Amino acid sequence: MSDPHDRSDRFELIAACEPATLVGLANGVLEDDPALSVRQEPKPQLLMQRVEEPVERRPFNLGEVLVTPAEVELGDARGFAMIPGKSERAALSGAIVDAAVAAGHDLTPDVVEALAETEAETRERRRNEWAESKHTAVTFETMEGRE
Amino acid sequence: MGYVAVTAGEEIIERAEQLFEKRRVGGDSEALETDQLDEQLGRLTDQAMGEGGLYAPRLAALAVAQAQGDTVEAAFLLRAYRSTLERFEETAAVDPGEMIATRRVSPAFKDVPGGQILGATKDYTQRLLDFDGINAEDPTAGWDLDDEGDPERLTNVVELLREEGLLEDPEAPEVAAPSDTTRRSVTHPPGRDEVLQELARGETGAVTALGYSALRGYGRVHPTLAEVRVGRLPVRIEHPYTGEEVTVTRVGVTESEAVVPVYEKREDPQFAFGYGLTFGRNERKAIGMTVLDASIQLDGETEPAEDPEFVLDTIDGMDSFGFIEHLKLPHYVTFQSILDRIRSIRERSETPAETPPDGHESERGSENKDGTENESRREPRDGALGEADDDD
Repeated sequence: MSDPHDRSDRFELIAACEPATLVGLANGVLEDDPALSVRQEPKPQLLMQRVEEPVERRPFNLGEVLVTPAEVELGDARGFAMIPGKSERAALSGAIVDAAVAAGHDLTPDVVEALAETEAETRERRRNEWAESKHTAVTFETMEGRE
Repeated sequence: MGYVAVTAGEEIIERAEQLFEKRRVGGDSEALETDQLDEQLGRLTDQAMGEGGLYAPRLAALAVAQAQGDTVEAAFLLRAYRSTLERFEETAAVDPGEMIATRRVSPAFKDVPGGQILGATKDYTQRLLDFDGINAEDPTAGWDLDDEGDPERLTNVVELLREEGLLEDPEAPEVAAPSDTTRRSVTHPPGRDEVLQELARGETGAVTALGYSALRGYGRVHPTLAEVRVGRLPVRIEHPYTGEEVTVTRVGVTESEAVVPVYEKREDPQFAFGYGLTFGRNERKAIGMTVLDASIQLDGETEPAEDPEFVLDTIDGMDSFGFIEHLKLPHYVTFQSILDRIRSIRERSETPAETPPDGHESERGSENKDGTENESRREPRDGALGEADDDD
């Protein structure tokens, strides 16, 4: 289980969270008009995905992955988020949510609950997908002597 | 003479573009949503992402819609978009063994650890048109699934062979950071990291065709596939605050590994390997890439698939698309020059007085030499007069 209070775990949960959920949470945080500065504007950027070829164990560049990072400062707390794809609003919202938890904002329990739901849904989706795949597992038999 | 601007009227060109757009939106059916393309025609968006070298499913769906299903055009749109973006960083190199696989088959080992998982495929059924299938209900809705727990890591066939000593355990590569062919052009002979990167974003048809050429006898590689896997790989960065590796997302990929017996070449009989990995679901391309990777490692000089310069010069869809399709653009100056030259040659050959009396090589002969394309096969030429005289 991931811990939404842990910065690294929270980053992964925010990245997996539905954009609409992040925007709703961020709007809640901003309702009482806290001091907010944007340290890194949300704009799409690239990650070059490196992979280690398994035979020679040689790294190579597979291709780039589109992501949208953002960073904010909420009061004295910083927040950073990176959302897959071109998703400026979600990235900015994610950074605000990250900073809010770091700052111990009143909405932290709501954020923790939403991120825990995200983790549960993600895990359930993966388990279901795996169960579907395993449902197609097959044993091939050689039929020696039969032409 | 060199460059000639062709005026056709900006308004007319816009009209042509509008007519092109009408072909997509002018019918009686509802316009396709990008979600529909991503969900229902995922092979198209996967192909565009693989050839574009950019993993962005929703933008790939947009590109496919904009290109009206032309995957190379869609890949071009994605590459054009990525060229406007900054790079955040390079990820840590991920071990493909970490893949969450939804499909894994091993044609080489029937009892492969973790089992043969067919996943979503129609490989073993008849390819027949199903006239009612387009509106069918979800055929898996009635499945009674067992709880299989969390996805398992599937043992890589490479590891099995390595345990048996049938696979060389090479020294770690000297260069930790691979070359990046999106930033530095490939020089020949290329490093294997460059070959793999270029093949990974190669055009599917070209990769398939060149790989096929080796199987058809124009090469020495006829591999057995150790395994083919489809699944998702983690994309990780170093968190800027904690310094820990964190997962941003998982990208869909197709992986293929092939064993190639090399006992005829070495005293110690072992296997050589070919590797293929590409964004999205594209088994044909991953397998073709595997054949080409294995072929190129043979350092052959006579077979196209074994010549890295030939393969990498012809495999990229943007290059071939651009060069082939540019031929339909105005070439009036080029063609006029050719006409002038041919007319001039004909006129001289029809005038006996200009023929040298001693029978030595005529001026016509040297003209022909000048016009012959006998230079580097690597430089794409545009007509006998070359690029300098091209008018587009």
